[in-house]
Amino acid sequence: MLAITENHNQAFSGSVRHFAYWYSDCLLGESRRLFVTPPLRPKPITKISIPQLLELKLQSHFSNQRSVFKLLLPLLSFITALLVIGLSNSFGIIADPVASAAKPATQQLDVEKDELKFGFIKLTDCAPIVVAKEKGFFEDEGLQVEVIAQPNWKQLLDNVINGELDGAHMLSGQPIAATIGFGTKAHIVTAYTLDLNGNGITVSNDIWAKMVENDPELDTPTPKHPISAKALKPVVQEMLDEGKKLQMGMVFPVSTHNYEIRYWLASSGIHPGMYTSEDIKGFADAEVELSVTPPPQMPATMEAGTISSYCVGEPWNQQAVSKAIGVPVTTNYDIWKNNPEKVFGVTKAWADENPTTHVAVVKALMRAGKWLDETDESGKLVNREEACRLLAKPNYVGADFDVIKNSMTGFFYFQKSDKREMPDFNVFFKYQASYPWYSDGVWFLTQMRRWGQITEPKPAEWYDQTAKSVYMPSVYKAAAKMLLDEGHITEADVPWDTDGYRPATTDFIDGIEYDGKKPLEYLTKHTIGNKD
Amino acid sequence: MPEQTRIEKIKYGLLKTIDVSGFKVFDPVVRLFFGEEPQKQVKDITRYMLMPILFVCCCLVIWNFVAPRHKTKSGEVPTPEQVWSALKVNDTLHNRENEKESDFTLSDKERDERIKEVEILIAKKEEESKKLKEDLTTIDAEVTKKKDESLAPLKAKYTELKAAHKEARAERAAEAQKMADAVAEKKSGTEDLLTLLRQSNKTKELEKEKEQVVKDQIAKINDDKPKVLQNAKMASDSVATEVQHLKKRLDYLTSGNRSMKVGKAKESATTALTKLESAQSSAEILAAAKTVVKSEERADKIAKQEYPRASTIWFQMWRSLFTVFIGFMMAAVVAIPVGIMCGLNRVAMACLTPIISIFKPVSPVVWLLIFQIVVGAFFPNPETHPFFLFLNSLPIVGRLNSNPALIFSACTVAMCALWPALVNTALGVSSVENDHINVAKVLRLGLWSRLTKIIIPSSLPLVFAGLRISLGVGWMVLIAAEALSSSEGLGKYVWDQYQNGSSLTFANILLACFVIGIIGFILDRIMIVLQRAVSFDDGAATV
Repeated sequence: MLAITENHNQAFSGSVRHFAYWYSDCLLGESRRLFVTPPLRPKPITKISIPQLLELKLQSHFSNQRSVFKLLLPLLSFITALLVIGLSNSFGIIADPVASAAKPATQQLDVEKDELKFGFIKLTDCAPIVVAKEKGFFEDEGLQVEVIAQPNWKQLLDNVINGELDGAHMLSGQPIAATIGFGTKAHIVTAYTLDLNGNGITVSNDIWAKMVENDPELDTPTPKHPISAKALKPVVQEMLDEGKKLQMGMVFPVSTHNYEIRYWLASSGIHPGMYTSEDIKGFADAEVELSVTPPPQMPATMEAGTISSYCVGEPWNQQAVSKAIGVPVTTNYDIWKNNPEKVFGVTKAWADENPTTHVAVVKALMRAGKWLDETDESGKLVNREEACRLLAKPNYVGADFDVIKNSMTGFFYFQKSDKREMPDFNVFFKYQASYPWYSDGVWFLTQMRRWGQITEPKPAEWYDQTAKSVYMPSVYKAAAKMLLDEGHITEADVPWDTDGYRPATTDFIDGIEYDGKKPLEYLTKHTIGNKD
Repeated sequence: MPEQTRIEKIKYGLLKTIDVSGFKVFDPVVRLFFGEEPQKQVKDITRYMLMPILFVCCCLVIWNFVAPRHKTKSGEVPTPEQVWSALKVNDTLHNRENEKESDFTLSDKERDERIKEVEILIAKKEEESKKLKEDLTTIDAEVTKKKDESLAPLKAKYTELKAAHKEARAERAAEAQKMADAVAEKKSGTEDLLTLLRQSNKTKELEKEKEQVVKDQIAKINDDKPKVLQNAKMASDSVATEVQHLKKRLDYLTSGNRSMKVGKAKESATTALTKLESAQSSAEILAAAKTVVKSEERADKIAKQEYPRASTIWFQMWRSLFTVFIGFMMAAVVAIPVGIMCGLNRVAMACLTPIISIFKPVSPVVWLLIFQIVVGAFFPNPETHPFFLFLNSLPIVGRLNSNPALIFSACTVAMCALWPALVNTALGVSSVENDHINVAKVLRLGLWSRLTKIIIPSSLPLVFAGLRISLGVGWMVLIAAEALSSSEGLGKYVWDQYQNGSSLTFANILLACFVIGIIGFILDRIMIVLQRAVSFDDGAATV
């Protein structure tokens, strides 16, 4: 039927236009659509007439007037949403007749906003967002999502704050720092932890050669791990004697990488420098200088000689190995086993305006996380290779498939000759990884205090309150409950009755115990850094 | 004869067109075609056409020769052939987006047919992929075996060397110890001990160097990736990616298809409707009615959905062109009136001179940051801002997804493109011949007619010369601005490619270099045509 009408249309419309259409087709391919509208093209979604536009404006004007309603609105809409879901569920409306045989059905929430833009940085740990988009998990929730690469963490945060993006792949420290006002101030919240681990510290070949010289035990193709910074200390000292400071790169002042590389250095007695109210670069008392470089530029910056070591996420450590410009000495798995890495962050205002959308997004992300961590009976990760292929597309991470595959499929190359099994190098879902733990937030706060980013000593309650104002387990649990009902996850995947604090752990490179409920005591246990 | 004049007419028409469009090189070709002084024309053609072509070919050959010989840490410099294949890869990516888009919008019978086609393709490609993977494993095993074979003696040599050196080191240490003891017992002087230590340090260095040589050899063999293996990997990779793409297409044809989604929503609306009819209590009725409305609304919404395209190089090219057009227009709208004012009034000129001289040399990067802050304040909520809603509702421009980043880039372009146009306009206006002005005075023309009848027409050639420079500057600035503001466009394409750091990165950057260059060239030609069209003399620029 359709074909006939189309032919009909073609036969009778102006031949000139069709010639132009055909000709531009030959020349430009699909991009001709910018110039000559082909027959029977669907209208763009965003088409809005002027009266409609005025109406929109008026509406927003009125809603400004009734600010009390505005406060109640999220609550009301959330309740209505739940009602609608309940009703539609009992009517069995949304069940998918085709898909239900193959996979459990998803109930679509009645979202406030269905076209969303998410930002990400070219790192493999953006995988849940990419997978949720490419595997159609977002679409299952009725969301049309655009995923846009951002040049650096600062701009990503700015774009989330100014509304250009709805949400983004963020460093765990970013929502916390923004909320307490270190750097750009804005209330950012998170309801989903994207992954654990996934970073490495790479040193240049030169530094590695010197480290090997200092510690002959390292002089094998497969040295014993974890490698501490002890072998690096003489190198730092030697440079200080020459009046130079070793230059190192990390990705952002409040990034996990900054705290990890500081932890690694300080645990071997190297002072990484303090932030003070005057010294916002964090160079006070420093024996090595840590400066900010965006992740994708790390290998190139090291090649250029500006820095001689860096701490960054994947694939930029594997890139150093494959280009033979450096040696990854340790991963953050060795510095702190199963440490929180990236979160999915949105502004508080957005979360308040779109509570149901937030739940829908977290649902899709949880399914993506679960998919990424799926294993067969032998414990082999089954979906990672497909995920790597998705990430290797130029509009996502874009690095070579082989390079991404190196760390994502449970292996890590420390040198070309040193391939090790690291099944937990990227954890997306198991160990209840994706839950927004308060204790993670408190750890970042203690590190911010330790290195002087928080300039004043704070009481223990402040740590708890701040963490609670940033992490939103309620949204996570709402999403998890729905997924459990739909059969996508199991009861054990989610800590239903937790108070939000993980039990105390000593899984650090220096064996110091961390208990999220005792932040002040934790601070006193370290030798370098603020102790209150 | 009338016939001859007609031919002449065509000939001179063609010559004029060539002249106006600035392609004077083709002049002898046309003349030769019409048989005018063949010898001279052939000479001209060889000199001004064949020689340049030869030269360009020469450059390509040199490039092809030099590129693979310059090894960088990110791989070899791509050859022209590799850049060409990068173009093809980019085009494939673009086509894949097209395919997915058309799959998304297909419905009914066409969709069924397409599903069958894709399923057949998937089966075929999966077979191929499996075979290629097997090939890859065998080749990989062979290569590793060969590598191990050649590595084994080296590794043995290395361990041997290290053991020997360790022994020698221990010996030397013992000797030094002995000597130190001797010194302690006052049997000998310190001089010997010192020489020994110096000597031993030197030997140590030598030993290390020896070890390093072997180590380097091992590393070299390890680094070596045979072409066979690389090719096998690439082939298997590309087919695997193709399979994934096809599967995604199947997704877009079945559960992800627009018509399917609309159908599902409509179905739920009908179910709800029957529920509504059979409902008894008022609460049930209300609830069912609400569901009906909701499902209908959703169906409407989905019906209007469009496929969310990933940006490809051709899309980014059009967006860059749009941005530069906006920026250029903004520059022209400001520069021409202000320039005319400056040309007419010396006081105005004096007032503006300090501003022009200070702001002209400022880098586009600085402007971009300033505009991001200043102009950004106008769009607190870009998604619902009427300006962007309006831009995105336009028929052609709407597809480009305008956002604040585009406006910032356009403003930066405008700011940098402003100056040449302004200065040239002022110059053009102030250099109108005095005779013309005097005539205007005699005729007692008012200011308006003086402007439109005398000043603007006679300054137009210079104004357009200025605009031409402006457009060139704008295009150059745009790429940097886009890279920095991450506004979708060729600048972002280049920056993304750099950040990707994949094996195709370098070739893609070179490809972008050519695309940007060719577009810049075309833009310049367009400006030349305009400039020629308003000039009265032939003296205006040609190249």
